[in-house]
Amino acid sequence: MDSQLMPRGVRRCSLPQFLLWIVPWCALLVFGLYGAGLCLVKGLNQTNMDNRFAFGLWIFLDLTVIALGAGAFFTGFLLYILKKKELKAVINSAVVIGFICYSGAVAALLVDVGQPLRFWFTFWHPNVHSMLTEVTFCITCYLTVLFIEYVPIVLKNRKLRQIPSFLVFEFELHKLMPVLAGVGTFLSFFHQGSLGGLYGVLRGRPFAFRDGFAIWPSTFFLFILSAAAAGPCFILLTTWAVSKISGRQLVRPGVLPLLGRISGILLVPYILLKSVDTLVWIDHTAPARGFAAHQFYAWKPFGEWMLFAEILIFGLLPALILLGRRFRERTGLLIPAAVLVCLGIAMNRFVLTVQTLALPTLPFDGFMTYLPSWQETATFLAVVAYGVLLYSLSFRYLVLFPQEKDLPQPRPAHERERAILEPVC
Amino acid sequence: MLSHFIFLGLFYTVLAIICVTVAAAFVRAFEDFRARRAEAVCWEATFPDLPARDRVCRHEFTGEFKHRTCDRAFDCRECQQHAALVARRPAEAGPAPERYYHRGHTWVQPEPDGTVTVGLDPLGESLAAGPEALELPEAGARVQLNGPGWYARKRGVRLRILAPLDGEVVATGGADQGWYLKLKPLDGRFEMRHLLRGAEVQPWMAREMERLHGALAPAGQAATMADGGMPVADIAAAISREDWEALCGDIFLLP
Repeated sequence: MDSQLMPRGVRRCSLPQFLLWIVPWCALLVFGLYGAGLCLVKGLNQTNMDNRFAFGLWIFLDLTVIALGAGAFFTGFLLYILKKKELKAVINSAVVIGFICYSGAVAALLVDVGQPLRFWFTFWHPNVHSMLTEVTFCITCYLTVLFIEYVPIVLKNRKLRQIPSFLVFEFELHKLMPVLAGVGTFLSFFHQGSLGGLYGVLRGRPFAFRDGFAIWPSTFFLFILSAAAAGPCFILLTTWAVSKISGRQLVRPGVLPLLGRISGILLVPYILLKSVDTLVWIDHTAPARGFAAHQFYAWKPFGEWMLFAEILIFGLLPALILLGRRFRERTGLLIPAAVLVCLGIAMNRFVLTVQTLALPTLPFDGFMTYLPSWQETATFLAVVAYGVLLYSLSFRYLVLFPQEKDLPQPRPAHERERAILEPVC
Repeated sequence: MLSHFIFLGLFYTVLAIICVTVAAAFVRAFEDFRARRAEAVCWEATFPDLPARDRVCRHEFTGEFKHRTCDRAFDCRECQQHAALVARRPAEAGPAPERYYHRGHTWVQPEPDGTVTVGLDPLGESLAAGPEALELPEAGARVQLNGPGWYARKRGVRLRILAPLDGEVVATGGADQGWYLKLKPLDGRFEMRHLLRGAEVQPWMAREMERLHGALAPAGQAATMADGGMPVADIAAAISREDWEALCGDIFLLP
């Protein structure tokens, strides 16, 4: 019924099947919007956060999706600035993922910060001493860039492209894409860094506080590097998952290993720097603040295992797999490695957000525990549902993987060759 | 205070760059329409979205290249590679070809009065035969190379037939007359360098037939064409609607 809206030459599931897929996600979205609405109307008393535990599930979600969405800027940078043409196969999908991640993060922030009608205050009365101001400016600007990058993909929809003015505008906008890719890289570089820097400057939280270079703590650079490393892995994973779910070959065989390789190349210096940073922190930064590093790990369940897991299991191990050509060309190793990288990033953001706030820093402080309320969890799930829905709709009606129609695809077994030729005589 | 200006100045500069970029795209799009380039731009935007198998260079048909994808949207007039290869060929003896062929399955026949007649080749005709509706341009209208020449609606699919030349429509025909458009040149004479001719036509048509057959082959099975043949009179009636749509896209270069 909706086949006229789908890209020509590709097959998608039937409309009833698609509706069956999106209905549960729509239900989840509605449930989440109800939870978010309660928080906006009644206030943050609907959450389990308080003045001391001010960062919870939402900030963890924001930091994680912003890191995973970094694939958009990094892929754009590699394609449009460094001319890595092979990445054209996934750039549209990367833009959609980036747009989903950033818009989801901004939506969660609107609920978290509250008073959404006063969003413009931050631009009109900026506190230029706060890293969060830089983050706000960068994320808003970058979301605008992602929206502009998403527009040409939408305008190339099969129906919309029949309107000449849309197609001409898309063409002219696409020619200027390197400018937007450059701006996106600049903005991403700073807001990814500032999100990390935000923790590194917390002098009152010696677990997170770091020394650094000039005005930037080491976490500034670690966040940039880790996001750039995780972004391609998340694109790799989504491409693989969508291919499995849809039963379609979406990209040529070399594309996923290439994404893995890019990720591996960035992951190695990240792990190296992270290890050096941890050693400096153990040996110098934490003692200078009056703490022995092992004290931070005395509070279960946040034991030393988390540090080792983050660096070795979720860092070094996938880095080695992704760097080894023979390893990354085996899907059975490539996909688990990409999963580990994404989990590692999520764990890193969790540690800096939740563990940092849970640990006592003053003699009269106790170890704090925090469990999100159902309203917080519902809002979190709403962002996930929104992402799945927008991606599903984009995959169905837009060209996310240009190589798809050039690749051999399985045809339904019931279809048989038909007589289209008749003998000459 | 200086740092405040630097910080805010930097980000408002970024915002300005974003706004200027979008505005520039709007202005350029407006200029394209004003300079009557819109149809050419539409084709340029469409061409890279066609499957790679639809974009092969004409010199693949003659064996001059084993694999080459056209990077000029089938406009060989400015292609240096094409000019060099044609110059290398021995001069063709005999009269000029009676018909020239466009990759969108139209033919062009020069007439003694300086006009050209445009029709559909046998494969195009068998796909677009007996349309439910035909939308031909009016006499006096201008068509642009690779812009829409006319439209035919068949089995619910609107087929856009590409114009093989730039020209002004002087008369329109129909399927029953065997031709669709008569064009006169816009500036003196027609430029035909981009059209297929002579020895290129037969291998191109054979390849198109092979593509037609391949597009309909079942999963995991190579396309076969045991002993040749001509397309059945109405292919649309012989295949599923999904295949029909995909096939039309392939043959008429629809995005």
